[in-house]
Amino acid sequence: MTSGDHHTDATIARRVRRLETLLEEKGLITGERLDESIDAFLAESSPANGARVVARAWTDDAYRARLLADGTAAVRELGYMDGSYQRLRVVENTASHHNVIVCTLCSCYPLRLLGPSPSWYKSEAYRSRVVREPREVLREFGLSLPGSVDITVWDSSAETRYLVLPRRPDGTEGLGEEELAALVTRNALIGTAAV
Amino acid sequence: MTDAAPDRFPPGTRVRTYRHDPPHHTRLPRYARGKRGVVVEPEGPDELADLSAQGRGDAPVEQIYAVRFEARDLWGEGDHHVVLDLWESYLEEDPDDER
Amino acid sequence: MARINDVGGTQGFGAIDTTDDTEPFHADWEARVVGLFNTLRAQGVFNTNEFRDAIESMPPGEYLAASYYERWFTAICALLERKGVIEPGELDD
Repeated sequence: MTSGDHHTDATIARRVRRLETLLEEKGLITGERLDESIDAFLAESSPANGARVVARAWTDDAYRARLLADGTAAVRELGYMDGSYQRLRVVENTASHHNVIVCTLCSCYPLRLLGPSPSWYKSEAYRSRVVREPREVLREFGLSLPGSVDITVWDSSAETRYLVLPRRPDGTEGLGEEELAALVTRNALIGTAAV
Repeated sequence: MTDAAPDRFPPGTRVRTYRHDPPHHTRLPRYARGKRGVVVEPEGPDELADLSAQGRGDAPVEQIYAVRFEARDLWGEGDHHVVLDLWESYLEEDPDDER
Repeated sequence: MARINDVGGTQGFGAIDTTDDTEPFHADWEARVVGLFNTLRAQGVFNTNEFRDAIESMPPGEYLAASYYERWFTAICALLERKGVIEPGELDD
C-alpha cells in the first residue's frame, strides 16, 4: 500500500471486521462459513495442481491429446475443475509457438490450478503491456524468445480460463511424473517462463 | 441453455467487432473495438455479461467465440496474435473481406 | 467511454515488478474479503458480473490508488449499499 488518501491497512481491516459483524447480525453470513470458505480456497488452489496436469500430459500421450482437445474434461479427470469458471482451455507451447495468458479487464485466472495469482499478474503494468508488446514483457521476465517463435496472447475476456502446457525440457526422459511436476513453475503455467 | 441452432460464426469466419462505446459494463476491451479478426471456435454459451452486470435476471444467453486478432490490426505493428473470448452480439461478419 | 479497468494497450504503467510472491494474502483482512465475496456470491446476493461492474465503476483515481483487495472490498460495500443490505456510512467510525 502506498500513502495517499485511500485507506490505511488498519482502517480497512477495521471496516472489514465491521462489515463482517453487520452481516452476521443480519443473518447473511456466519464467521464459521467465512472461515470454511477461506480454508477451502487455500487448501484446494495451488500451482502444484497445474504442475501435476502438465507432468501427466508429458508422460501420457493419450492424456495430453485429451487435455488439448477438451481441457475441462481432462482436468476434471484429475479432480481439478471447479465451479467458478465454465471452461478450461489448455494451450501448448512448441518450438515455434509460445502462449501467454492475461486478463486485461480484471484479473481472471484459473485459481484451482494455479493458486492465488501473483501480484504482477494483477498489475496494470502487466495487463496493459502484454497484449501490446509481449516480446518485451517476456524479456523482462527473463524469457528471450527468438524472432522465429510466434506468440499468442490469450486475453481472458469471458468465462474460459487458460493454462499453458510448457515444453518438456530436454534431458528429462528418465524422470517420473512427480519429479517432472516439481520442475513446473507457476510462471511457466501462465507463459511468462519456460521450464 | 438450449442451443440447438448452428453457430452463427463457424471457425474461420472473418468477423469485425462492434465500434460502439456502451455506457455500461462490457467485456470487449477498447483496444479490440471495430477490429477485424478470425473466429477460432465457439467457447460455449453464457449470459451476456453487459446485462447480467446490471443485476438483470433476463440477460440473454449467447454463444461466445474465441476470436484471433493480428497485432498489426490492433496496434498497427507487431508480429504476435491476441485471442479474445467475445459474445456473439459483439461481432458481425466482416463486410469487405479484402485481405 | 472505456472504464479505468480497461487498460490493455495503455501507456505509462512502467516496468513490471516480476517478483514471484507466493503469499496468497498480505494481510488477514484480505482473506476475509475473499471469504465475504465467495459467501455472498454463493448466496446470490450479487453475481460476478455485478461485482466486476462495481469495481470498474470506482473513480479512476481511487481505482489506481487502491490495492487489489481494497478494490474488492469497495465493490462489495457498493453492491451491499445498492441492494439495501447496508446503509451508506454504516461502516464509518
